[in-house]
Amino acid sequence: MAKSSRREFLQRLAFSPEEKGGRADVLVCVFLRGGADTLNMLIPCQDDLYYSSRPTLAIASPNKAKKGNESALKLNDFYGLHPRMAPLLSLYRNGTLAFIQGVGSDNPTGSHFSAQDQMEHGLAYGQNTGGGWLGRYLQQADLQHSPLGAVTIGPSVSESLRGAPSASAIKSVNDIQLHATSKEQSTITAALAKMYGADTSPLNKSGLDTLELLKRLNDLRNHPYRAAAGVSYPGGDFGAGLREIARLIKGDVGLRVASIDLGGWDTHFFQGACEGLQAQNIDVLSKGLAAFQADIVGCAAKVCTLVMTEFGRRTYENSSLGTDHGKAFAMMAIGNHIRGGTIYGDYTDLMGQEADIMGPGGLSVKIDYRSVLSEILESMDPRGHDKVFYQFKASRVGFINSTRSS
Amino acid sequence: MMADDKISRRKILQSAALLGGAYTLGGCEQASSLLTEHMGEAIPSALRESAGAAIDPAFHLLSRAGYGPWPGDIERVKQMGATAWIDEQLHPDTIEDNAANLRASRFETIHLDGGTCFEYKKELLFNEMARQSLIRAIYSKRQLLQVMVEFWSDHFNIDMSKGNCVYFKGFDDRTVIRKFALGNFSDLLKASAISPAMLTYLDGNENKKSRPSDVPNENYARELMELHTLGVDGGYTQQDVSEVARCLTGWRIYDRWQRGKIYFAPELHDDGEKEVLGHRIAGGGKDRDLDAVLSIVCNHPSTAIHLSTKLVRKFVAEDAPEALVASTACVFTETKGDIKAVLRHILTSSAFASSAGAKIKRPFQFIVSSMRAVGADTYAHNDVLDYLKSMGQCPFQYPTPDGYPDRSAPWMAALLWRWNFALALANNQIPSVKIDTSKLMTALGAGESDEKKATILLPHFIGRKGKSAELAALSSPTLETSCLIGLILSSPAFQRC
Repeated sequence: MAKSSRREFLQRLAFSPEEKGGRADVLVCVFLRGGADTLNMLIPCQDDLYYSSRPTLAIASPNKAKKGNESALKLNDFYGLHPRMAPLLSLYRNGTLAFIQGVGSDNPTGSHFSAQDQMEHGLAYGQNTGGGWLGRYLQQADLQHSPLGAVTIGPSVSESLRGAPSASAIKSVNDIQLHATSKEQSTITAALAKMYGADTSPLNKSGLDTLELLKRLNDLRNHPYRAAAGVSYPGGDFGAGLREIARLIKGDVGLRVASIDLGGWDTHFFQGACEGLQAQNIDVLSKGLAAFQADIVGCAAKVCTLVMTEFGRRTYENSSLGTDHGKAFAMMAIGNHIRGGTIYGDYTDLMGQEADIMGPGGLSVKIDYRSVLSEILESMDPRGHDKVFYQFKASRVGFINSTRSS
Repeated sequence: MMADDKISRRKILQSAALLGGAYTLGGCEQASSLLTEHMGEAIPSALRESAGAAIDPAFHLLSRAGYGPWPGDIERVKQMGATAWIDEQLHPDTIEDNAANLRASRFETIHLDGGTCFEYKKELLFNEMARQSLIRAIYSKRQLLQVMVEFWSDHFNIDMSKGNCVYFKGFDDRTVIRKFALGNFSDLLKASAISPAMLTYLDGNENKKSRPSDVPNENYARELMELHTLGVDGGYTQQDVSEVARCLTGWRIYDRWQRGKIYFAPELHDDGEKEVLGHRIAGGGKDRDLDAVLSIVCNHPSTAIHLSTKLVRKFVAEDAPEALVASTACVFTETKGDIKAVLRHILTSSAFASSAGAKIKRPFQFIVSSMRAVGADTYAHNDVLDYLKSMGQCPFQYPTPDGYPDRSAPWMAALLWRWNFALALANNQIPSVKIDTSKLMTALGAGESDEKKATILLPHFIGRKGKSAELAALSSPTLETSCLIGLILSSPAFQRC
């Protein structure tokens, strides 16, 4: 690593209290299963069509709520945030959270399965290639592979990781250990250390690295995890999962990509507005992401979090006070090297009840989701990213801070 | 299924007589385990495996041309001689394989045609295919055949998670890979080219010209030359790729009536004149264009070199010795792609003989060789597949057309999961696998409290005497036998082959 001079160091400090720029090493992908209604998360407060289409579900623009009701939290002259997203407001304001509006795929089916599958495999509709986009990335990137390079927090490895050199599904850090009784642990590791220490071949070296990794994981396990001061994760699987990801990151065990799901976004019925079904989900999401970001404060420079869903929902509410499957959605990107505090992508072509070739209602897709993903991958590994998305020319969104600090 | 796969009536009756009440006791799997034990799967009562400081040649042969010795295999190879053993393995139809067939007979979907498979859940189709591969690799006496099935499954890789491949891979495995694994390369290639699974996986099914504006889909054409035949530097151009793609337009899979069967649709075929690798293919050839193309690529000198390099890498060393590649390519050319002749040439070469321990097992081979070394009883349920997944080599799940890599570097990171598998296996902690370490110990003449346990056990697993560092590491007096075996399976020496 090139040494930076003291003056440069001071300069950097002067510009920003936290390190800006640089390269993210760890990508955390949060998938909102079910097609999240991001129109009620990143709220187009100046769009009359939004309000006229959602008499029950719309979130009032700042200071325009009826007495006693909540309203959107102001982001800029046009947009506001769902009130349950308050925990993320400071991330937006300090420039680590960006929204990318109008993202989506060309999937015309309206099927959760088909749209999720396409997105996790990083494809255009009808394109057919094996492996997930993260799996292909890990396979091709110029990285040191660790047994914990790719992890899904959940019951099975997510499709996006398929094809990764080594991918595991875990519930907790405690799942990763040498499966032996505590009595045998030390005998076994001692014997392995002797055998793998006998020569310096790549195989033996890899064995010693693995033993070192186990030691670090043991330390992690033996010290009950304490999140950074003042951080508390929301209850439930999602909060617990993010906490385990933070633990892996801070434990420095070679994690490159983590994926985690939050389900329950398919809000056809009684979606609710400031309170209700979706609001509860937004609450868990926002509290979880905010806690995670606060928890990894010491190593935030190397972590980037993406939040995506398979499609957005329609502009108009349906007769059961929910919303049906739509098209584009807003993606979130969080990280120190994200050029945050901004909403990327145009807000155009919101449709009411009329339909276009992709079906009725909702936001039109202006940014192919692969453009966002490939921009992230490029910032992480400038060499490996271009083979991940076949026959796809990414258009630049520009949400990554490209200045690299040493 | 081939006729000789059938278990003879007498043998069944013989074995059934031994079973007694097993059906009521332990269900179907336990019953067939008893049957297969009677068919020669048992650990012999005594194993004489005298080993020297270097890896035993019979052990080496069994580790490369097979998935490592099953208890008793080494003596068998020594008795009949390596050349005779190789010859026998090259003619798998002459080897009775009842025990493995009986174990695999529980998988109903692997015998179906693609169309029928649509009536089954994807997960079941995938699981049965993966489990069949494991079961046959562990128990088949046709070991070289299984090794070549794995080789060709990578060479003609099909990812079952892509589109409809999950419905067609079973048919491909049976009628392409297994059928021609030890046959002639051109037959294998032809079968693969029009296999519904391959037509799906590499988009051949989408490759058509029905209007003048239609541009052929080049996916298969490119991989045919880059991966299946000439190799990436084999001397073809983009123009050749386009021309091959034109030749192969019109091959389709029925999707309703006769679903899963293939046909040639002349109206979707580009019937003009083409030029492939310098050979002119006259217009009007219709479906014969396929044969013309395959003949050109099969007979191209680069194909002999490409195939020989891959096979020598597979059987001899990661950095394939050039001289052996060259002589193998000659055999390939002279015999017009006779896989048997090519394999015989490689396996009897001096480079092969002197390469013992030079390769690192891939996860599949590691798991199978562990099971074989201890004579495990298993039907390879999901718990075993999960280990393979965490090590990154679940069968038929490699995403890109080049197949699981045959180099060691990509596999090094997953040692932790190998160790966990080894320890769990040795401690009988994998629910769908049973092992009997005491039987193995008795056969090897080692007592439970034997101080020299490690000295006696090591050669059985690694084909040579333990080195002093290995013995020092494994000679802790508190080490129980199961733990000792787990450690041996975890050792660097056992990762090699």
